[in-house]
Amino acid sequence: MILSLFLPLFLVFLVLGLPVVFGLLAAPGILLWMNGQERDLVLLYRNVFEGMNSFPLMAIPFFMLAGELMNRGGISLRIVGFAQAMVGHFRGGLAQVNVVDSMLFAGISGSAVADVSALGSIIIPQMEKKGYPRPFAAAITAASAIIGPIIPPSGIMIIYAYVMGESVAALFLAGIVPGILIGVALMITITLMANRYNLPQAMPRATWREAGAAGAAAFWPLLTPVLLMGGILTGVFTPTEAAAVTVGYSFIISLFVLKTLTLHDVPGVLIRAGLTSSVVMLLVGAAMAFKTVAALAHTPELLASTLLSLTDNPLLLLLLVNLLLFIVGMFLDAGPAIIILGPILAPIFTQLGVDPVHFAIVMVVNLTVGLLTPPMGLVLFATSAVSGLRVEVIARAVLPFLAVEFLVILLITYIPALSLTLPRLAGFLN
Amino acid sequence: MGLILGLANGIGAVNAALLMLGRWLGAACLGLMVVVILTQVFFRYVMDNALPWPEEASRFLMLWSTGLMAPTAFRRGGFVAIDMLVRLFPNGLATVLSIVMLSISIAVLWVALGIGWSETTGIGGRFALDSLRVPASLDLSVWAKVPKAAMMSAMLVGVVLLLLVAIELVLRNLCILTGRLHRLNEIPETIILGSGAE
Repeated sequence: MILSLFLPLFLVFLVLGLPVVFGLLAAPGILLWMNGQERDLVLLYRNVFEGMNSFPLMAIPFFMLAGELMNRGGISLRIVGFAQAMVGHFRGGLAQVNVVDSMLFAGISGSAVADVSALGSIIIPQMEKKGYPRPFAAAITAASAIIGPIIPPSGIMIIYAYVMGESVAALFLAGIVPGILIGVALMITITLMANRYNLPQAMPRATWREAGAAGAAAFWPLLTPVLLMGGILTGVFTPTEAAAVTVGYSFIISLFVLKTLTLHDVPGVLIRAGLTSSVVMLLVGAAMAFKTVAALAHTPELLASTLLSLTDNPLLLLLLVNLLLFIVGMFLDAGPAIIILGPILAPIFTQLGVDPVHFAIVMVVNLTVGLLTPPMGLVLFATSAVSGLRVEVIARAVLPFLAVEFLVILLITYIPALSLTLPRLAGFLN
Repeated sequence: MGLILGLANGIGAVNAALLMLGRWLGAACLGLMVVVILTQVFFRYVMDNALPWPEEASRFLMLWSTGLMAPTAFRRGGFVAIDMLVRLFPNGLATVLSIVMLSISIAVLWVALGIGWSETTGIGGRFALDSLRVPASLDLSVWAKVPKAAMMSAMLVGVVLLLLVAIELVLRNLCILTGRLHRLNEIPETIILGSGAE
C-alpha cells in the first residue's frame, strides 16, 4: 500500500527542485526502505545499470555527436541560408525561415534542445534586427524546435522503441508526416498573424542563382537524412550503426569537404556530446528503475482500470490520454515520461485496436510538445538561455503556437493514416 | 565558517581536476565507440566477417563515458530540475531548500555506493563478459576474458564522482548562506542539457 505513494512523493520532490534523476530514485527508494524492502534497493541499482547497458540506446549519443559535428562545422548557417532562399520572401519571412530551418535541421539532429542551441543563436538576433519583437522570435524558435525529435532521427523515438520493443525504422517513418504537418501549421499561423500583428515585410525573393548557391552550400548536410534513412530502410544498417555512420559522414564532410571543422575542434565536440548523452543515459537508467517499482506497486493495472472505468470508447480515451500526457509533459521530460508511461498506456490502447505505432507517435508528439510547457519545459529553458529572455516571457509568447500544435496532435490522434501510411508503404506495417 | 569555505574550495579543486580527467577519458570513450561500430560495419559488409566483440565493447565504452562525464554535467547545473517554485522563495530560503535537495541526492548516492561496491566486488562482478578479451601475454598469444566488474565499475566510479560533486555543492550553498559567495572559486559555464534526447 505504502508503495503506491511513490508517484506523489516523486512529484513533491520534483516541484521542490530535486533533479529528476535523483527524484526517480529517491521516491521509490525511500518507500521501499520504509516498507522494509531494503533488498529491493539492490534491484533498483541493477535496473539503473541494466537500463543503460543497451546497444540500441547507443544511437542517442551518436546522433548527438553528429549534430554537434554539423553544428561546429557551420552547418546551421548553411541551413538557415537555404531556408531563407526558399521561404524568405513570404510575409513574415524570417519567422517562416525559422520554421523551415527547424524542419531541415530535424533531419540531421534528433533533439529539440540541440535545434534551439544551433539555430536560435543565429536566427533570433537576425529576426530582432529586422524588427520582430524578441519574445516573438524566441517563441517561434521554441515552437518550431520541437519538430526536431518528430522528424527522424529522433532520440525520443529510440527510447520508445527500446522500452516498447517497436521497430525504430517504423517509428522514424511514422514521424515524418506529423513533423511536416506541425511545420506547415506553424507557417500558416505565422501568415495569419503577419497582418494582424503587422509582422515585418518579407525579404526580396531570392534569384535562381542565389537559390542555387544556397542549395549547393547546404547540399552535403541535407544529404544526411537520406543516408541515414536510406541505410536503415534498406536494412543495410541497424539504427545504431546508421547513427555511427552519420557521425563518420558528418566528420568527413565537415573536415574535408566543407573544411569548416578542424581536428582541434574534435575534443570539444566529443566532450559536449558526451556530457549531454551522459545525462540521457542516467535518466533512462533511473526511469527504468522507477518503472520496476511502478510494476511492484501494481500502478500499471491501477491506472489502466481507472482509465477504462471512465470510458471504453477508444476515441474518448485517446482524448483523455492526450490531456494526461499534456499534463505529464508539464512536469516530466519526454524520455522518462515515455519509459514510465509507455508500458502502462500502450497495452490499453493496442487492446482497444489502436495500432502500436500510431499510439507511439501520439505519445511522442504530445510529450515533445510538452517540452514547451512550464514548469518543466526543456525547450523553454534552452530558448531562454539563447535569447536572454525569462522562461515566463517565452512561455506566454509561445501560447498561440502551442494551441496550434495541440490541434495538430488531435489531427494525428484521430487520423491514423497521417502516421501509418509511410511505414505501411515501406512494408514495416501490415 | 572559514573551514567550510576552505573545504568547499578544496573539494572544488579536487573535483575540477578529477572531472577534467573524466571528461577527457569519457570523450575518448565516445570517440572509440564510433570507431568500434564503424569497424563492425566495415567488417560485416566489406570483409564479410561479422566480428563478435564490437557490440559489447561499445556498450562497455558507453557505460564508462556516462560514468565519467555525468558528474561534470551535474556540477555545471546540467541535471534538469524544476526551479520555478524555488525562484519564488527569498534567497535564503531557496538556498536552504537547495541544501535539503542536495542532501537527498547525497543519501541516494550513498546508498548506491554501498550497493554498487558489493555488486561490483561480489559474485556478479566475477563473471566474465561474453566476448571481450584483453591480451594476457606480450606476444598476444594468450587472451584473457574481461570480468563483468570492469563494466560495473563504470557506474561505481560515476556514483563516487557524483557524491563528491554533491558534497561540494552542499558546501558551496552553506557558504552562500553565510554570505561568502564572492570567496568561492567559480564553476565554469552553466550548461543547458536536459534529458538530451529531447
